[in-house]
Amino acid sequence: MADSQTPADSSAPRDAGGAVPRPSRAQAFRETLFELIRLDGVRGGLIVTPDGLVITSELPPRFPVEALAALAATLGRELELGATRLDRGAFRTALFSADDGTVFVGGSPVGYVTLVADRNVNVEVVRAALGRAVDRLRGTWRTAGAA
Amino acid sequence: MGIATFLERTWSGLTGLVKPRSAATMFRLADQYRHEGRYEEAADLIAEGLRVAPNIAVGHLLDAYLHVVFREMPAAKTSFRRVLSLDPYHPRALFGLARIALEEGDIEGCRPFLDRAIQYFPDFPEAKALQEMVATWSAPAVATPSSVGAVNTERLRLPPGAHDLILTHADGTMVFAQGSEDRQRQLTLHMTQVYRIASATLARAGLGALRRGVVEGSSEMMFMRSDGGIILGVALPREIEVGAGLVQLGRLWTDLNIKS
Repeated sequence: MADSQTPADSSAPRDAGGAVPRPSRAQAFRETLFELIRLDGVRGGLIVTPDGLVITSELPPRFPVEALAALAATLGRELELGATRLDRGAFRTALFSADDGTVFVGGSPVGYVTLVADRNVNVEVVRAALGRAVDRLRGTWRTAGAA
Repeated sequence: MGIATFLERTWSGLTGLVKPRSAATMFRLADQYRHEGRYEEAADLIAEGLRVAPNIAVGHLLDAYLHVVFREMPAAKTSFRRVLSLDPYHPRALFGLARIALEEGDIEGCRPFLDRAIQYFPDFPEAKALQEMVATWSAPAVATPSSVGAVNTERLRLPPGAHDLILTHADGTMVFAQGSEDRQRQLTLHMTQVYRIASATLARAGLGALRRGVVEGSSEMMFMRSDGGIILGVALPREIEVGAGLVQLGRLWTDLNIKS
């Protein structure tokens, strides 16, 4: 997985870091994701930071987590940058639908919430829940920033 | 023993009990904090660690990561380059620079970083995912045969508040866009990049080709539709519902008589 080795192992392609307990903000991230993946039609999801670190992931075993995380972080950054460059206000949520399902992305200062959903998912319900989740993540950023 | 001597000895004894942390310890702890989302504390530790040991690659790597989290891309780029000056084949630094090049729209600059990372570390799924994605990208063609005829915008039924209407090919060749030349260029670049990265994400998730997209900003919504390498996009007021916005976009698609 992406976080399987220590930072001292500078030659490995894996990300820096080891298996560590994740209280505080990390706990809020996990709870946020758990709430979202319980929605009807949502197969799973992950939260990835802008640098591509997977903070938490709940995806079915067959999903390529690292690859999906890299693409989700890249997509999240492009959506963020585009919103700024085109004066559309801060990027909040996005959805991209295909023949066999939909990917949702939520943007926040701490990172991007990505959900993988079925074709017939209720888009408005998921989008509204994702919007609330994004607001909560923004709250954790502000709280820590003020501390 | 005078009071000054007593205080000095007491202070000396107290500080002697606290061993200074090594840079490696600080970096390890900083990385743990990073995983916990405690970025501010991690940043302090990294700064302290690099002050003690300025030539440890992992310290600069962690520094780069935090700059990315704080969206300080020029500083992140400098730190990733510092890692490479200490370890020229560091895969994470190469990958970090590739991603920054990608978001700067420098596709040609991005590829060598990914190639180098994978050359030395073939088992690097994140880099492979981006490498496969950009491998299919091409620069806009000088004269791409268009399946879209001349666009007559006067016949279009633009919904109230609609703007930034854009029609482009997936390779970035613009067919039509509203606004100034600079606005058209920005729109085309953004629309193409979103289409490409979202398409790669959907494909990686096994969901198929991108058909529709909706991007919500805090002040407006962007709707997009694509088929066969043609992308149509329009910005609508934020209050519009997703379903209604997609219907409006569908009407525009029909009006433009797009045959993919």
